[in-house]
Amino acid sequence: MSKKEKEQILVRYGGSRKEREDFLKAMMSPDDKPEVLSDTLILDVSYANMSGDICSGIYAEFGAEVIKIEPPEGDPSRKMTPYGVNRSGVGVPFIMEARNKRYMTLDLKSEAGRADFKKLAAKAGVVIETFDPGQMDSWGIGYRQLSEINPGLVYIAISPYGQYGKKTQEMTGIPDSDITSQAASGAPANIGDMEEEGEPYNWPLKAGVWLGWYTSGLEAALGGAIARYYAQASGEGQMVDVATADAYASLVGYPVLLGFTWNKARPRIGKHDYILYPYGFWKSKDGIVAIAASRDHDFRALLKVLKIWKHEDDWRFTFDRIPDILEKIEEFYKIIEDQTVKYTSDDLVRMALEYSIKSARSKWRGGGVPIVMKVQQPATTMQNPHWAKRHSFQDFDDPALGKFLMPVNFIKMSESPPRVKWVKCAIGQDNAYVREKYLK
Amino acid sequence: MENYFDYTKKLFDPSKINEKPEVFNGIRVLDFTHVIYGPTVGKILGQYGAEVIKFELPWIGDLWRVGVNWGSFWRHSSVCFHFVQFGKYFFALNLKLPKAKEIILKMAEKADVVVENFAAGTTDTWGIGYRQLSKVNPGLIYLSCATYGQYGPMRFFPGWDLLAQAASGVISVTGYPGTDKYYKLPDYVGDFLPGNVGALAVIMALNYRKKTGKGQYIDLAQTEALMRIMPNFTYNSITNEDLGRVGNTDPTMAPSGIFKSSDGKFVAVAAATDEQYKGVCEAMGRPDLVSKYKDTFERLKKENAAELYAEAGKWVSSSKAESLMGLAKKHHFAMALVEDDYEITYDEWRRERGSVIVFQDDMYGKLIMPGPSAMLSKTPGRVKWLSRPLGYHNRYVLKHLLGYSEEEIKALEKERVVGYWDDRPGIKPPVYYDMSKDAMFNYKGE
Repeated sequence: MSKKEKEQILVRYGGSRKEREDFLKAMMSPDDKPEVLSDTLILDVSYANMSGDICSGIYAEFGAEVIKIEPPEGDPSRKMTPYGVNRSGVGVPFIMEARNKRYMTLDLKSEAGRADFKKLAAKAGVVIETFDPGQMDSWGIGYRQLSEINPGLVYIAISPYGQYGKKTQEMTGIPDSDITSQAASGAPANIGDMEEEGEPYNWPLKAGVWLGWYTSGLEAALGGAIARYYAQASGEGQMVDVATADAYASLVGYPVLLGFTWNKARPRIGKHDYILYPYGFWKSKDGIVAIAASRDHDFRALLKVLKIWKHEDDWRFTFDRIPDILEKIEEFYKIIEDQTVKYTSDDLVRMALEYSIKSARSKWRGGGVPIVMKVQQPATTMQNPHWAKRHSFQDFDDPALGKFLMPVNFIKMSESPPRVKWVKCAIGQDNAYVREKYLK
Repeated sequence: MENYFDYTKKLFDPSKINEKPEVFNGIRVLDFTHVIYGPTVGKILGQYGAEVIKFELPWIGDLWRVGVNWGSFWRHSSVCFHFVQFGKYFFALNLKLPKAKEIILKMAEKADVVVENFAAGTTDTWGIGYRQLSKVNPGLIYLSCATYGQYGPMRFFPGWDLLAQAASGVISVTGYPGTDKYYKLPDYVGDFLPGNVGALAVIMALNYRKKTGKGQYIDLAQTEALMRIMPNFTYNSITNEDLGRVGNTDPTMAPSGIFKSSDGKFVAVAAATDEQYKGVCEAMGRPDLVSKYKDTFERLKKENAAELYAEAGKWVSSSKAESLMGLAKKHHFAMALVEDDYEITYDEWRRERGSVIVFQDDMYGKLIMPGPSAMLSKTPGRVKWLSRPLGYHNRYVLKHLLGYSEEEIKALEKERVVGYWDDRPGIKPPVYYDMSKDAMFNYKGE
């Protein structure tokens, strides 16, 4: 490589590898930086619905003082955990969202508990609740009442069908769960195998993560952040309403857009994609790889990497690869698979990368970047040095919860980044702190 | 006191949305993004009132303009492109030319937010990275979106939604255990969800800037955003093994699952709490199970959960969906029907709520599209126009925002610094539409 070429590459990546890495790592470090929500008191009274805990967990990472208010016996969400795995009676998802929070007990069913809650709400920036629509209002601590004592309050309500309309009144009494919110919002209908694969594989399939609750929690946090921004500018609070039976459908948009333009539901097509091809999973010698090479130049590159150039003529253009004729797609799937099973996953990743580096360095560009990625398990993701460099996981050690690890720092910001300072969640652990600070 | 639901109906009344204020009025966003992940950030800011200028290469345009399902365009355009680009200003500028860079630097002086999702370091090379733009405007918030982030050994790896799903491990947890069938999460949620996280980051940064006057650089990795929704890592660190794939049940609740009813409907049922468990057992006619598994953690153990899953499956497959819904109301456990695209589109309650809206566009006509995921009572999100052909707002941006004259614009066109569409669907206007009569396209100035 000539000196000039080398310089060009350095410029392209904004400095030498080490320089740029260390500069950015230092820039994004959360140590000793201000927290954007440090002036915001947030009350989370979510009950048996983790989307509220997720919403307040995100705010707590940005530095808000989050007080999770539970009944004296604790929130049932504490016990929602895979196969009953728990530490000191607390389940895994609850530990995961117990970031930087305070835990207080209040019996909202009692007059005294509600009086305390009102006092706290008068000082709060945000309230988060997940009760049946109208429940808080009937207790005299809904948005209608709280906005009178605190006009700047942002009130986030999360429920299956929202706070207004006929459906939510009709469904009152039916509680929320992740699997039902997924079902109603269109995710399972589009996961699963083609008709001919037989039962149960051709059934609608739930996502393996809490897709319904995590999208609802994130959207509540996003809506609440917008409302809070407005409240800080104008002094006016408002109500934010999230329906978990819809949050996912509106996030991705496709169910409605295709329901309208196709005027029918999509069939389930297993590992394939409706738009892009190749874009899916293939077997390798020792596992599964994800391959994406749908743009024409990426596709050509993939053919070269896998040494199947002879098929170029039949599949050359994007329009040859529209995945609408499933038999054709399956046919080409096999052609690719015949090659991928010859190599290990690591080899395939390396072969694709070497090609991509070559085409990125070519002065003509346009050489294509076929993308191959090993399908990672959580265990292997945790070991990846890339995430270690980015401090994406953090170890914790707590007398009650023991040793564990969590994904942290999910957004890197140079001035006011989110971070996790502590994870502790004993029932009522901060009762004295909260009473001393806010109720005296 | 007024009935609660009458009160909330007035509070959120969808017909009043356009009369209400917009939060991000006066915020200007320069949007150098493409496909779904990056554009989603600008879309959300625009939905709540920001002025979003989307940059594209003339004659080429955003790759996603032709991203259509099974090759079918809707009125010569992509519906998903409309969904991630509505309400933006479409400015086709050849970023590679020095004159274009001058224009961008000039625009950056008065911008509040910049969003880009090129490969790590690309904008820096072009001279429009955070390093360069923060010099002309220190208050600037600059968000770089990439699959693996801007630093770390894998930062050069290219990526799409699928790769972020593979790298985070989301793919490895969906599907049936003991099979070689893998499924990705559908509808590019690996782009949409991180895009929403990006919008949240920008709003936090705007909030910080309002207090301190300081801008900042944000590095968002799509994969990290997906890792944030996975308790699987914590599970692994506690049990020393992966949770793995769990099939059609939720291992945090028992019983739970998606089953087929006797009338052929797919039904999701879950007992999220002890009380709901009691309700399900009563509805199943199996009160004996309540005393069998009194302890929640005991009930959730693998073999016990499997037993309850089988029991619930038997019960659902011998009942009709409607009668199950009645039981859920009576006994208070979680239940919902699996809804497909068509049902979601034509659900009455989503229309009433504003989660599905019928939008009438000046260029493309009627599109039924999703509303916002979160409803705000005072400053709701709204759609003003759908996406537009490549270069549609060139004149508006150059004249209105930058004060160029018609002659100067003609010179830029001649030098191919700015440009328009070529003859491809998704990029050109719909054939029935007469561009010569379009006032915005032929913007004359104030």
